[in-house]
Amino acid sequence: MNRTTLLTSSSLIRHTIASILIVCFGLSSAVSADDLENDSPEVKYRQKVMSIIGTNMGAMGDIMKNHLALPGHVAVHAGQMASMAQLIAPAFKKNIASDATDAKPKIWRDWTKFEAAISDFEEAARNLEAAARGGDAAAVGAAMKALGKRCGNCHKPFRRPKEESFKNKPRNHDHDHGDGDE
Amino acid sequence: MNPVASRRRPSGDEAEAGTRSRQCLPIRAVFRIAGILWLAAAGVASANPDVERGRRVFYATGGCSCHTNYPGEGDDAPWLAGGRPLETPFGVFYSTNITRDPETGLGGWSDADFIRAMREGLSPEGRHYFPVFPYTSFSGLRRQDLVDLKAYLDSLPAIERANRDPDAPFPFSWRAALVGWKWLNFDPQRIEADKDRSDEWNRGNYLVRAAAHCGECHTPRTLTGGLDRSMWLAGSLEGPEGERAPNITPHRETGIGSWSIPDLVWYLEMGLKPDGDDTQGLMSEVIEHGYSNLSAGDLAAIATYLKSIPAIENDLRAK
Repeated sequence: MNRTTLLTSSSLIRHTIASILIVCFGLSSAVSADDLENDSPEVKYRQKVMSIIGTNMGAMGDIMKNHLALPGHVAVHAGQMASMAQLIAPAFKKNIASDATDAKPKIWRDWTKFEAAISDFEEAARNLEAAARGGDAAAVGAAMKALGKRCGNCHKPFRRPKEESFKNKPRNHDHDHGDGDE
Repeated sequence: MNPVASRRRPSGDEAEAGTRSRQCLPIRAVFRIAGILWLAAAGVASANPDVERGRRVFYATGGCSCHTNYPGEGDDAPWLAGGRPLETPFGVFYSTNITRDPETGLGGWSDADFIRAMREGLSPEGRHYFPVFPYTSFSGLRRQDLVDLKAYLDSLPAIERANRDPDAPFPFSWRAALVGWKWLNFDPQRIEADKDRSDEWNRGNYLVRAAAHCGECHTPRTLTGGLDRSMWLAGSLEGPEGERAPNITPHRETGIGSWSIPDLVWYLEMGLKPDGDDTQGLMSEVIEHGYSNLSAGDLAAIATYLKSIPAIENDLRAK
């Protein structure tokens, strides 16, 4: 085979050659899955607290991105989020990281940082509430963006990423669909 | 274009269009003619490099977030000075310094150097870049967008930080092997306007495929690390930094078919999903430092394009 024919050979042939070489090198990976234990009532409760906060966030998004004519609603949702923020720390007080949960053990190791992140979140929710009452669209958008970032500031260090979520793993029982979003 | 660099190579466009050795002659001829037309069009349309337009291109790339080590050094990490570990199935690669620092960054690069790096994956000295740098997508960027982007990068502070070699096993750490990789997996893109589609769709197609380089994470890869184009944007378990990159085709159950165009625009602007959850991982960074700063028109264009692509069933949660 001369150089030109080799170079113009089809993509299929090129990939077949390369695949054979790679299989010869023995490139492989294995994935293991942990078994889940049962849910505890504390975990179910705190998941609902987080879920309510997330639902408020989603509801505000529905209003703002679709320009729904619902004056005053964003302020109510933001105010409710700020109130709910006060329930987070007590709901997580008990150290349970081994059940069907995405809470990382780091929460209880870095409890002060966890509480500080929640306070920042509450403050951002109050800011959005105030901006929504003020009615300046640009200020509301900026406050919304800031609030979204505060969600992440707590989720990044303290919540397992989606690909490691218990929700991806096979369940032993089906009574709870795991809508909680902690 | 810098005349010195032009002497070394005829021009980025011409070389790209005409000298791909493995294309057969008629195709090469077509590409050469297309290249000449392209150059003629570019000659008419081209303007001087513009920092403000370049900022918009920068945002469209996701703020070049891979080049800042946010995970390791936080929000105060040296901006665009590289050093961020990118964990791929082939080893750990470290992003490079793209500030205008003359010793460790892109200081002293000509426009032609920059264009060649972005479109051909070659350094000014002719070394191959590891494809963790998505020149596969950036090859589709228009020349004007590239010189504008360079002008914007040149307007930012220089930071001295030396680049780091990859922690990857042989042969993946071996640049010479990239000749073979490119032969297998790299076809420079030429994104032409589709006259049957709206301007908005065409803009979205260009942004998604070139600047925003969505496919680099959201399209699964073949064994050799090339994009599996039959699964365009259908999600990958081996996204950047070992993260799962979701299926973003309009498949109802396994993709984002239930998301409306306002949902997508809101997501790229705020980083918030329709259910109110925030975004994790590298995606949250490319939104914060990049896409969220795009114009409403560009975001709507991206959303319009994403809603138009074939829905592919690929349930990553089940894998």
